[in-house]
Amino acid sequence: MISGIDLFIVIFFIVGVFVVGVYFKKFIHTSEDYFLAGRKLTWWVIGMSIIGTNIGSYDYVGGAGAAYDVGIAQANYEWIGAIPAMVISALLFVPYYWRAGAYTVPEYLGKRYSQPVRVIEALLWGSFLVCCLAIFFWASGLMINTYVGWPIWLGILITAVVVGIYTVTGGLTAVAMTDVIQLAIMLVGGFAVAIIGFHEVGGWGGLVEKVTVEHPDHFRLFLPLDHDTYPWLGMILGLGLVLSPAWWCCHQAIIQRTLGARSEWDAKAGMLSAAFLKMLVPLLYVLPGLFVLALAAEPLSDKDQALPWAIKNMLPAGLAGLVFAAFLAAIFSSVDSTLNSAVTIWTRDIYQNLFVKKAPDKHYLNFGRGLTMVFVVLGALLAKPLTTSFEGIYMAMQTLLTFFQGPTLATVLLGIMWARATRWGGLSGLLGGVACSVTLHMTGMNFLYVAWWSFVAALIINAIVSLLTKPEPLEKLRGLVYGLVMKDEHVQNSLSSRVEGGE
Amino acid sequence: MAEWLADIPLYWAKIIGTIFFVSVMIWALTRPKDYIFQGAPDRRIWRDLRLWAVVVLLVQIIIYLGF
Repeated sequence: MISGIDLFIVIFFIVGVFVVGVYFKKFIHTSEDYFLAGRKLTWWVIGMSIIGTNIGSYDYVGGAGAAYDVGIAQANYEWIGAIPAMVISALLFVPYYWRAGAYTVPEYLGKRYSQPVRVIEALLWGSFLVCCLAIFFWASGLMINTYVGWPIWLGILITAVVVGIYTVTGGLTAVAMTDVIQLAIMLVGGFAVAIIGFHEVGGWGGLVEKVTVEHPDHFRLFLPLDHDTYPWLGMILGLGLVLSPAWWCCHQAIIQRTLGARSEWDAKAGMLSAAFLKMLVPLLYVLPGLFVLALAAEPLSDKDQALPWAIKNMLPAGLAGLVFAAFLAAIFSSVDSTLNSAVTIWTRDIYQNLFVKKAPDKHYLNFGRGLTMVFVVLGALLAKPLTTSFEGIYMAMQTLLTFFQGPTLATVLLGIMWARATRWGGLSGLLGGVACSVTLHMTGMNFLYVAWWSFVAALIINAIVSLLTKPEPLEKLRGLVYGLVMKDEHVQNSLSSRVEGGE
Repeated sequence: MAEWLADIPLYWAKIIGTIFFVSVMIWALTRPKDYIFQGAPDRRIWRDLRLWAVVVLLVQIIIYLGF
């Protein structure tokens, strides 16, 4: 589809990201440098990296298709399904993770509750992230094949080599800094498409007029309760109150940047600045979906062809290359973050926590780098089989994660907010909530409502079991629970020792 | 669950959505000052994260009331 100047822009982007990523190798000396960027990230890098990580290729292709199909209701995933949760994450969850000196969310849960809770969460997230990696590799190969015409295996190889090398060498620092560049490219591409699109349809008024003739509900954010996929109550209860907070407050790839912040304030401000950037994300795919609806003479047979149609029919030479580079940026930033987070969980929560507990720091740095290479190779090799022959494995992992999201949020929320929550309450709430999810899922209930009720069940079970079991010692909870962060010397010393890596 | 709620008019979605945003806004505004500025190099007003939380939520309320 693209050629000449477009191809040059794409190759320039790939080489540029590679060079910038590898440059940060010189800052990596310890495992903390590798996994948490030496805890030196500033708020604006954290904010841009979070959004770069969050936007994937599916958001572009699938999101534009969904916007073409249902209209701006698709933006709920970026607005009510993200912004309030990001504010809560910034001002409640992030400070406690950061103060705990944890590298991962499961590690925080281990400190707050117990080892079984940590290991269950780590195995789930660790496995899910590795599966995601394979899917992202396949998506990159497919996209390069569709737009440039190169074989899928070559696209996967380019992604694996470029992203793999800078992630292995530069760790989270390289990942975060390349995310910044990648997000900038995505936003520039998005604004360019918006300007051209508005010019073509005659401004905002023209867009609304053309679209609402045949699709009067396409400019409604809330859709009726009997809507198949986006009933408004499900959007508020399931998405707004449970799934979105679970994603923004508990997803390792999102939270890891804030754990690498140079200060608690930077960690909070980073998440909050990401909320501002998140408001712009619908520009990247909702608007193009609506532009296609307004401009295409015939309805598209496949809604996922909306964005390819826009690139082919709306964009001049040069700009198509920029938008394609933005697609690649979305994939690269998701691959590098997923890779780094998967390696952090498997190294810290499984390898170091269960098998080799007291090795020199260099050992964990080398193990992390080695595991990154293994996951790159594994992801590339599994890309095709996992996506085509064994699609069920990925679907099973995704369903499994959905089962855990409500209960995980309930477990973390009570852990932070209620000192009386005990190790047995945490474990019972987590497992009981998952049992509730599975049961409701089998009745055929919409997943948004499943998320809500499993969250409620986990909260109740955790609370009841906690009240029936022995309270946790105050010493264990200091700095990890709201209200137990007094400014006395004892607390500050215990927090400092955690930040330095002690338990 | 959706069946017995089916008669609720669509404007209730906007009301409940707005209550949701306003609740989070009030919660953010009531965070203690020391907690908000913990780790900040100084206490200038632009470092008060509560205000930024209010701005981002206010924009959301305007958008949701408009659409």
